[in-house]
Amino acid sequence: MTPELFDGPEPAPSAGWHAPVTVLASYAAGDLGNTYVWSIEAHLSDCALCRGQLSVHTDNERLARNRSVVLAMAAIPGARWPRRLARRLGLPDHVLVLLSATSSLRRSWLLSVVAVLGVVTGESLLVHALWPHHAGIAAYSEPAVLAPLLLVGPLLVLVGVAAAFVPSLDPGYRLAVAAPFSSLTLLLVRAVSALTAALIPLACAAVVVPGPRWLPAALLLPSLALCAFALAAATVVGPTAAVVTSGAMWALPVAWLTVTQSPLESVEAHGQSLCAVVAVAAVAVVFARRDRLEMRWAS
Amino acid sequence: MGELIVNGSTSARDEAAVRVGGLSRRYGEIRALDAVDLTLDRGITGLLGPNGAGKTTLLSILATVNEPDAGDIKIFGLNPKIHAERVQIRRQLGFLPQELGYHRHFTVAGFLDYVAILKEIVDRRRRAEEVARVLATVGMEGFGRRRIRTLSGGFRQRLAIAQSLLGSPELLVLDEPTAGLDTEQRLRFRELLSNLPGDPVIVLSTHQADDIAAICPRVVVVLDGRIAFAGTPTALADTAAGHVWTATQRDERAHMSWRDGDNQWRHIGDLPPTGSVTATPTVEDGYLLLSHAGGKR
Amino acid sequence: MTPHPDVRDDAVLLRAVARGDEDALATLYDRHAAWLTIRLSRRCGRPDVVDHAVQDTFLAVWRDARAYRGDGSVPAFIWGIGIRRLIDGIRRESATTHPPRMRAADADVVVSAEDQVLVGLEHGDLGQALAQLSPELRAALEATVLDGLTCAEAGVLLGIAEGTVKSRCSRARIALRAALAEQTRSAPTPRRQAWESP
Repeated sequence: MTPELFDGPEPAPSAGWHAPVTVLASYAAGDLGNTYVWSIEAHLSDCALCRGQLSVHTDNERLARNRSVVLAMAAIPGARWPRRLARRLGLPDHVLVLLSATSSLRRSWLLSVVAVLGVVTGESLLVHALWPHHAGIAAYSEPAVLAPLLLVGPLLVLVGVAAAFVPSLDPGYRLAVAAPFSSLTLLLVRAVSALTAALIPLACAAVVVPGPRWLPAALLLPSLALCAFALAAATVVGPTAAVVTSGAMWALPVAWLTVTQSPLESVEAHGQSLCAVVAVAAVAVVFARRDRLEMRWAS
Repeated sequence: MGELIVNGSTSARDEAAVRVGGLSRRYGEIRALDAVDLTLDRGITGLLGPNGAGKTTLLSILATVNEPDAGDIKIFGLNPKIHAERVQIRRQLGFLPQELGYHRHFTVAGFLDYVAILKEIVDRRRRAEEVARVLATVGMEGFGRRRIRTLSGGFRQRLAIAQSLLGSPELLVLDEPTAGLDTEQRLRFRELLSNLPGDPVIVLSTHQADDIAAICPRVVVVLDGRIAFAGTPTALADTAAGHVWTATQRDERAHMSWRDGDNQWRHIGDLPPTGSVTATPTVEDGYLLLSHAGGKR
Repeated sequence: MTPHPDVRDDAVLLRAVARGDEDALATLYDRHAAWLTIRLSRRCGRPDVVDHAVQDTFLAVWRDARAYRGDGSVPAFIWGIGIRRLIDGIRRESATTHPPRMRAADADVVVSAEDQVLVGLEHGDLGQALAQLSPELRAALEATVLDGLTCAEAGVLLGIAEGTVKSRCSRARIALRAALAEQTRSAPTPRRQAWESP
């Protein structure tokens, strides 16, 4: 095939030859022998006129059917890098679509989370810079340095996971309820993804903040416990109430510890064990009562 | 065509697609549904009633998204109280809720793709085929890449109808599907419903009597959580026979009066005064008479 | 509602598609889907596999229109995508082979004598030489030469091993050379070659 530049209407073949209509018809029907086919196909590559002629002999219904599928597939959105990432992780592409319909996995939400963490981190750094340092005492033992992050961090993760199952945060909720797709699978897939997505900026903030080196890791278990508790509570009370309760269960103790000048205790040894117990118990409850997690439309 | 059931009668056929018996649902002090018996068959049934009558509650129970406090339901022989059977029902269900929400970022095709996956259509190509098919059915080809938030109310409603058609469901539960549609769109909607392949069971709700007259061969009037009437629109209109009259002046003895299109006063009441011009009752007349009677209770 | 006829040429359309113009994609489809469907159908006897290949081709055009550098013919660009999508589709199908549709005796009985002259092959040297090849050799040649496939891809298309493709191609070349040599010896009159080698 000699490559040619087409910037204007395609030039007719030099011999001015075009395929006879009968030959095209035979070709379209698949009745043309191989040697003629080679000639015809080579000619068709160059000649728009004969290509157009060919449309007369084709199955229009079949063409129309494929056309609407092509246009539908083109219309369905799909950014490239998530698709490639999903394929590498072995995730089927429909899972991606389900995730993209989760508020807390959208860019706007994640940017808000980063913004909030940014403010908290900024405050932390500022207080740390301004506070007079006493020899031998860690600068971050001043409650105001770490309290905001300790308070806000796990709550941000909780709210992100809440978006996976709280009706008011999922506009398409009513359709998901009436659909056969397993609500539990949907919820878990979304919750785990939201959890991961929120933990990453939180861990980064915990690294930047002037605190103990184990702080990023220490925030993991409380966040998990909060989310698990909310899920477990959602099998008993409504989802919104569950999330609020869970949030309060974290905010109140941390606030109290801040007032008593030791917020870090929330994530030190005792705090961690408590969170571990809550997390394990909550997961057990969720498993046992998973049928109740099936979203109910509370009118 | 299916058997019609009038309150109290038990002559329904055994093969009825949807059977509801003694259905009750309350929200606190409010009884949304009170011992409702209903049978639905293939074809279109309209639920007619004022806002707050219980139509939405009934539809949401039929769509398996709400649970009754008491009563039995059988949909295609399946019991929605059992989880596995509930999922089976949902596989054959298309639902249009009263207020359908969309994520802000959704495009038309993206949204339909999402719903198709929720309906367990997992294969990428089949999803595209279904999306193309329902868009063509509601006349929205070429809208695929439009963002839903840029659509007008009428098109959003068409999209909402389209999503309920994904997967060619056997049971279509549509809550106020004609809301926001103009006359031409309603006509197209009626055509759409009548031309659906496979003859599904369709139940839709409306508070407008002319929707019933135009679209539904069967109507069920719901008042205060109870079934006030079940039958054909003609039969509903006939309940007002002899109770509707027109006059040049307003008549105080009528239950309801209003000016009609000919600038006459139309009255609905117990007995027309002698010498007045009785009017042929419409479906709306029958409905108004019933709702007035219901209101007196 | 007949759409306005799009007079832009294919290269311009492809650039429009690269910018996200859906109507340009539709126009490209309307212009090229027919011949692509037929041409792919000759390589694969399963209409559903061909349908999928056609769909995937235009989807790939939609996603990767930028890959077209404007330096070749658009039909060739589309064909390059199409034949590879077809091969992907054939690979996906489990275990069945899809040899190209060939007529057993390769008798061109439906083509009239005038048409044969018009097509210019009947008396062409190369045409005659090709006609003398066995179907398998011709198929291997078609896949590698006309369709521009690698031996591995041709193997998938024809349902044979890559090595078999290579050996058949070389046997075909030997046979063609011999046949052409035979013809020039016996008929020295110059012929019009309507079949151009790529």
